[in-house]
Amino acid sequence: MKSADLAKLNEADQVIRQVAAELGLDCLPQEFDLVPAQKMMEIMAYRLPVNFSHWSFGRDYEIERTRYESGLGAPYEVVFNSDPARAYLMDTNPFPIQVLVMAHVYAHNDFIKNNRHFQLTRRDMITSASEAAGRFRRYEEDYGSEAVENVIDAGMAVQWNIDPDEATHPETEKEIRERLYGWAKRAPAGAAFDDLLPPRGVPTEEKRALRKKTPPEPTVDVLGYIIGHSPCPLEEWQKDVLGTIRSQAHYFMPYRRTKIMNEGWATYWHEKIVQRLLTEKFLSVEDHGYYNLYNARVKAHHPRMINPYLLGSAITANIEERWNKGRFGEAYDECEDSERKRLWDLGLMQGREKIFQVRRTHTDWSFVAEFLTKEIVDDLDLYIFAEKDEHTHYEVVVQETEWTRVKTALVQRLMNWGIPRIMVMDGNYKGSLQLYLQHVYEGFPLDEEYCRKTLEHIFFLWGRPVYLETREARGNESQSKVYVVDDRGIHSRT
Amino acid sequence: MAVTQPDYGSTPRGRTDAARHREKIKEAIRKNLPDIISEESIITGRRDRVVRVPIRGVKSYRFIHRYSNGEAGGFGSGESEKGKVLGKRPKQGGVLPGKAGEEPGVDYLETEIDIEELIEMMHQDLRLPNLREKELKEAVVPRGFTFDSVEKHGIKPRLDKKRTIKEAIRRTEILVLHLMRETGRTESDCRVALDLARGNMAEAARLLSGHEALPAGSPESRLHLESSDLRFRTLKEDVEHRSNAVVLAMMDVSGSMGTMKKYLARSFFFWMVGFLRTIYRSVEIRFIAHTTEAKLVDEEEFFHKGESGGTYCYCAYDLAGQLIDIEYPTKSWNVYPFHFSDGEDWDAERTVRSLEAVLDRGVAAVGYGEIQTEYSASVLMRTCERGLSLQLKKQQDYSYFEGKRGESPFLGVVIRGKDDLYPALRAFLSQA
Repeated sequence: MKSADLAKLNEADQVIRQVAAELGLDCLPQEFDLVPAQKMMEIMAYRLPVNFSHWSFGRDYEIERTRYESGLGAPYEVVFNSDPARAYLMDTNPFPIQVLVMAHVYAHNDFIKNNRHFQLTRRDMITSASEAAGRFRRYEEDYGSEAVENVIDAGMAVQWNIDPDEATHPETEKEIRERLYGWAKRAPAGAAFDDLLPPRGVPTEEKRALRKKTPPEPTVDVLGYIIGHSPCPLEEWQKDVLGTIRSQAHYFMPYRRTKIMNEGWATYWHEKIVQRLLTEKFLSVEDHGYYNLYNARVKAHHPRMINPYLLGSAITANIEERWNKGRFGEAYDECEDSERKRLWDLGLMQGREKIFQVRRTHTDWSFVAEFLTKEIVDDLDLYIFAEKDEHTHYEVVVQETEWTRVKTALVQRLMNWGIPRIMVMDGNYKGSLQLYLQHVYEGFPLDEEYCRKTLEHIFFLWGRPVYLETREARGNESQSKVYVVDDRGIHSRT
Repeated sequence: MAVTQPDYGSTPRGRTDAARHREKIKEAIRKNLPDIISEESIITGRRDRVVRVPIRGVKSYRFIHRYSNGEAGGFGSGESEKGKVLGKRPKQGGVLPGKAGEEPGVDYLETEIDIEELIEMMHQDLRLPNLREKELKEAVVPRGFTFDSVEKHGIKPRLDKKRTIKEAIRRTEILVLHLMRETGRTESDCRVALDLARGNMAEAARLLSGHEALPAGSPESRLHLESSDLRFRTLKEDVEHRSNAVVLAMMDVSGSMGTMKKYLARSFFFWMVGFLRTIYRSVEIRFIAHTTEAKLVDEEEFFHKGESGGTYCYCAYDLAGQLIDIEYPTKSWNVYPFHFSDGEDWDAERTVRSLEAVLDRGVAAVGYGEIQTEYSASVLMRTCERGLSLQLKKQQDYSYFEGKRGESPFLGVVIRGKDDLYPALRAFLSQA
């Protein structure tokens, strides 16, 4: 790219930063790197600018490349939660697209800086991952690339089975035991009301049992427990590989938990910013036409998935409008006169304040549960589809459009961010270091094929028999099912 | 400056890991062979050895929910009509027709496959007997002349100078040794004497025995050729034994053969020729299109031009017969006549007689693929079944008609759609 163009982008960056600040966005310092398309796709596939090698990243790279080459790609944007925040621009994009992406990035930046779920993640992941890449390469030289690949495969299979809120209640195993013994000197942060209760006396029997128990109480941090307690035993380099995967999962968890909100927030604001740039004549009408074309693509309807850019920005705009006009609370909800409701406007003008407050505290699950209204569902024509078995293929059919049902199902799907909750119940099952896991059944069974393969990966890391207790649907009922994986393979019993 | 353009090294990290992934998806490809071989981009693409096909990536396993009983469901937007059909999704393992990445949720990627590699995979998958060990008919092709052996007599132009000189050196060395033993003189004296005697042994011995002082010449003696040193090369006619195959691709191009039927035939020929190429040094293909008359056409016309009118299949077999007699005598050629039709033959009885005549010529195998649709009035296969007393053979997932006349087998398969392509190939290849 010519230096004149680079200068133009820098000018745009300054203007956008200025406008963003005026609109009330509160950003970390922002840096942009202009990169070729190939590098962009690598960053998207590897999730970080430089990361360790793995075939799954190679696969994702091919998927991105295929999309890019078939012209289906929207303008790409990647922003990293670091300080200063780092984002990437693809050097083949025309100027109006770069403006769109930069405006979008500044809003993400504000979100990352202010949403509480991003607060406790490390902001040095870019360098940390790049260092890990170097270490992993040495492990490959020392132990063979297949051995390293096996560990990465297994680690990635349970990478999301961690405790996303770990940072908010850091407690060592020793501290947990002390709490359970009733010896804890201070109330743990997690149990907010415990300090109001008198200390509970723990019978000696229970204490004795507790002494041998591992983990002292059930934990959702499956990966962490394996790293700490695998009877294999794991070698130091293996622990490092798994630990790296785990810390990256912690880093990406907030993105996963706020996908709709975060993209919606960024889309909402890039529209506002670009509007300002147009009125201030920074963007020409021609540029604006081009921008509109791409913006429409960003907010396009997807027949078989929820477009987070579309839904998130619609909810954000709707919240702003409702709090501007006072369309909330008991009086509004209980009003049955549809005409009065349509014209309802108390002139509160609290919308801006409200959306800033929402972006600080919520995750997708609570965001949708609390703010998805009938208006939005009807407006966007949200629906549930089903796939009907037609022998040779599946037919995709619109199944449900009624707003409460769509909303209930969507909220349910967002529960725990779509990750099945698996708890480590016992790491010394049958007194012989076998691992007993339990799936917390929340109405949906586990996918069997995925479950079996994942258990094999866990067995690889644990080295002793592994049990998983779950439930499977039987008509409207559900019944218990236990998988066991050991040297002889995997089997299940109901 | 907040926007910079750093210079990233050009290490293609993505591509390296993509290669590892590709290794992993080979297994997936193996499982999807029936779909991949009917992939249009391979058959109709340019004649590259490497093709790109859409395929599902290798799965990353983790715990996931199954949201409804066997039927995956999800959410979408932009459609308010309940019951509306949004589209279709092929069952697991299927390769999507159309562009990769069209469908969100299921991630497809395009990957490159070498056609030879695919054929090798099919080889293994089909568990074919080693075709290379088959007894092949070989043609003798003259390739001019070559030098054969070396003799002591011949004409000057074929004098082998190098060998002649070698002979002379050898003989001289023997004589020197001999002289040394006879006279007891030093090696250099013997050499000088032999040289002075111009190679004459008796003269040299005389010179040495006379106790005369020999001129202290240089010890390296010159060569003195004798006629017994001369060596001549002989010539021989050069021939090559070449195993050749010819595929006589015959197809019904009458009005009833639509694009899909032609596509199926084309796919079949594509893979058939690919396989035969792994056995034979060269494979020729001749195209015969027929309606009520048969004619030799080029490939383009064969697959793309549709004609209308009726069907006499026998005329194709008759033309094939003539072609075998004139250009591809079965003595030296492995002839594979393959015929595709929808079986609507106006004179099936006569076709069977012409077919028998082709078999009688001793071809490697005759294949007949009948592309049947719900509405076609297919009579040819049934007539063949009676006329050639064919047997219906059933394997796990495919069945075929088999017959034999003399040493030449006949194989018939019924093809109803893309899915039958792979079984049909398997039937032909395992028997042909």
